[in-house]
Amino acid sequence: MRSGAATPTRASGSRTGWLLLPLAGWLVAFVLAPALILLVISFATRDDLGRVVFAFSLENYGRVFDPVYLGIFARSVGYAALTTVLCIALAYPVAWHIARLGAPWRQRLLLLVMIPFWTSFLIRTYAWITILKQEGLLNGVLRHAGLIAAPLEFLYTPGAVVLGLVYAYLPFMILPLYASAEKVEPSLIEAAHDLGCGPWRTFATIVLPLTRPGLAAGVMMVFVPAIGMFAISDLMGGARVPMLGNVIQDQFVGQARDKPFGAALGVVFLLLFLVSYALLRRRAEVRLG
Amino acid sequence: MRWLSSPRCFRFATGSWTALVLAFLHLPIVVLVAYSFNTSRLNVRWEGFTLRWYAEIWSSPVLLRAAVNSLVVAVLTAVISVVLGTLGAWLLHRHRFRGRRWLEALVGLPIAMPEIILGVSLLLLFSTLAVPLGHGTVVVAHVTFCFPFVLLTVRARLQGLDPALEEAALDLGATPLRAFWLVIAPALRPAITAGALLAFTLSLDEVIVTYFTASPGAATLPLRIFGLARVGLNPMLNALSTLFVGAAVLAVLLARDQRRTSSGPAGV
Amino acid sequence: MHLRRPFRLLRPSLAAALLAATALAARAAEKLSLFAWSEYVPARVIEGFTRETGIQVDYETYASGEEMLSKLLTGGAAYDLVQPPDYIAEAMIRNKLLRPLDAGRLTRLDQIAPEVRALPHDPGMKYTVPYMTGTVGIVVNTAKVKEPVRGYRDLFQEKYRNRIVVVNDNREIVSWALVTLGLDQNAITPANLARARPLVAEWIKLVKVFDSDSPKTPLLNGDVDLGVVWSGEAARLIQENPKFTYVLPVEGYHPFVDVLAIPTTARNVAAAHRFLDYLLRPEVAKLVSDEFPYTNPNLGARRLLTPAQRANPASYPPMTAWNTFRDIGRAAADIDRMMTDLKNRP
Repeated sequence: MRSGAATPTRASGSRTGWLLLPLAGWLVAFVLAPALILLVISFATRDDLGRVVFAFSLENYGRVFDPVYLGIFARSVGYAALTTVLCIALAYPVAWHIARLGAPWRQRLLLLVMIPFWTSFLIRTYAWITILKQEGLLNGVLRHAGLIAAPLEFLYTPGAVVLGLVYAYLPFMILPLYASAEKVEPSLIEAAHDLGCGPWRTFATIVLPLTRPGLAAGVMMVFVPAIGMFAISDLMGGARVPMLGNVIQDQFVGQARDKPFGAALGVVFLLLFLVSYALLRRRAEVRLG
Repeated sequence: MRWLSSPRCFRFATGSWTALVLAFLHLPIVVLVAYSFNTSRLNVRWEGFTLRWYAEIWSSPVLLRAAVNSLVVAVLTAVISVVLGTLGAWLLHRHRFRGRRWLEALVGLPIAMPEIILGVSLLLLFSTLAVPLGHGTVVVAHVTFCFPFVLLTVRARLQGLDPALEEAALDLGATPLRAFWLVIAPALRPAITAGALLAFTLSLDEVIVTYFTASPGAATLPLRIFGLARVGLNPMLNALSTLFVGAAVLAVLLARDQRRTSSGPAGV
Repeated sequence: MHLRRPFRLLRPSLAAALLAATALAARAAEKLSLFAWSEYVPARVIEGFTRETGIQVDYETYASGEEMLSKLLTGGAAYDLVQPPDYIAEAMIRNKLLRPLDAGRLTRLDQIAPEVRALPHDPGMKYTVPYMTGTVGIVVNTAKVKEPVRGYRDLFQEKYRNRIVVVNDNREIVSWALVTLGLDQNAITPANLARARPLVAEWIKLVKVFDSDSPKTPLLNGDVDLGVVWSGEAARLIQENPKFTYVLPVEGYHPFVDVLAIPTTARNVAAAHRFLDYLLRPEVAKLVSDEFPYTNPNLGARRLLTPAQRANPASYPPMTAWNTFRDIGRAAADIDRMMTDLKNRP
């Protein structure tokens, strides 16, 4: 199955090339320009009040590679990776199922996936706290069922943080997976089945390759933002261990008042992202030919 | 696992899984809605039924104004993001040019940027250019981190699209734009729907970037809610969230009705 | 044809949004833009002010003094009134970010308690008017903890491991260690930090939750039994359930003062003064105490409180010392660094 990546028609392309200008303009004005501002600040210093002073310094980058911050970075990536794996496992069957439904049900279920997120993040998180706290609903149910004698500790544990992260990012895996699963022809699956393929084989040989672009988009939307997430680890983890997001936040709007150092952390993180993204895309393009 | 081989069993399995996942997604929402009717102000345990918190919302002009701000911003953000994201995905897909990979990497940058960094650097940009903060700056900021989600979703879908479709349209004499409108866009519909939902949802619940790009008059609901919750969680916030969910469900029903009426004999 | 379906979902809300937007634009009145702690200024105060003066208040909120400073310094919006805590007000005055007040337009400054008038951040209230004051102290759930807890040494014990909540504020935590060691809470030198470090390291291992926004929540929920929290949070806990007690640590404590001030970039200086004067009225200042049971610096307002409000040990603790936090400038980053390091060690 040749995934029709590419074969764009060059001849007719030139006529629509100008349409790229708004996109490029937006990216330059509101993404590239802020990123460059960030880069400039990362080489600056600051005064007592926290105002940026433009005197060239490399000190901030020296600090970024302090083992303390490397450790924090590793932890944030670890949580994000675990979240991503769990989201993929939870989302695949859902996306697949929704994509196989008739049009009206499809829309309804998609909305059902999204509607919980039209409430406020904070209120949702507090609802989870109501469920998970020691005198909370979950412990109550477990105790009534006779499964436990004393309340268990759910809240303010690493498990609670992972639960919160998975909850927050799950829709961002389901939706792109759905969008690319929807185009997989049912006849292909039937053919595979007729040829004696079990569901797992069918999944590995047909579904996975065909939905790979959706999966890649989902990973991008879950893994990358989850690295910088900190509100969930604060609220559900008790803020006991710092995350990358906490450290950056502290520099810009916290007591540290050290924007240049925060900017340096940001620049290193974004550079890592850009390089790994470019490498991955190159590999993908090579593979697809 | 043999039983899974039968397509019907497989369907049953994915269906049950979907139901479980939806239950997981809605579990805190059920709790949240239930507690919006709780008499206890501190909302620690269930004490009694009341509609008082709903009444309080209506007497809070600040909250109502913030809610309106949020909706205006989220709708505008979703619309602009869909246009920018869909066109962008299509153009990046069909054009090969030098620096394309860099442009694509730039698209991913706002997703990777921690919100605080995007917020502070956009504020720096706006204040350097002397752009006054207001609804406009909030929408610009929101579109900046929302449209990449649309673009990525749509682009993933494009990667499996049969190029013959567009070529056929072009052969029949359609201009590329017309071909896009008539052939490509309908084929992208599921991805566009998904992208619009993502953009709308992201915008509706964003706090940090909004804080830095909003003027006092343009504060959105999440900003207010963060403020209110900070001084003690208030069932009024649950009531407000309940209203949003309720309105969303209502909008879904309305949208469905519309379709039923418009897919009459004349078609759409 | 099918193309338009994705937008279906959005259409009803779009119409509603546009309608609302035009309705909003129609109004135009004199405006005061207030930049204050999240919802710290009660809606009733703002509504009363607007009713009386016709001036519409645009209220924008922030979560910490540093957050406010960050937005103010970056530029963008202009604010007529801001609400920094004492040590940030001090730094703002020193950096000429605040405008001297016109005392002639503030008719009730004499309502402010004498001990709050001459604090080092702004002696004589030339730039700032105290809004509320408070302390950071120890809350104990006496239903679960039977031994008396009088200070930090009593609190941070191995037997209370995983039963403690503290405010997620690095400077606060370090200051507790400093006063326990008999050091000056404002002398943030490398030598003092090195001395405080082992104590802080030992303490934070025992803490279950760090929360500055709502430290009362884990206490109410029963997830922890002891805490070092803002006095207003403690006062709420005591209102909710008398099993909670509040004490000022014997090793030492410090009060804080949140003030209101006019930035140099303010547009409507006259309205800002009117708002300050309005807030100094005892019956208005009392409304703040009703919502936020911190210590009200307005003596007239205190007289209007109920006996229960006055008797709340967290709102009106027996205070003798008025040693507030001072601006420590760049040393704040050293604290941040040390705390990040300590929290990062398993």
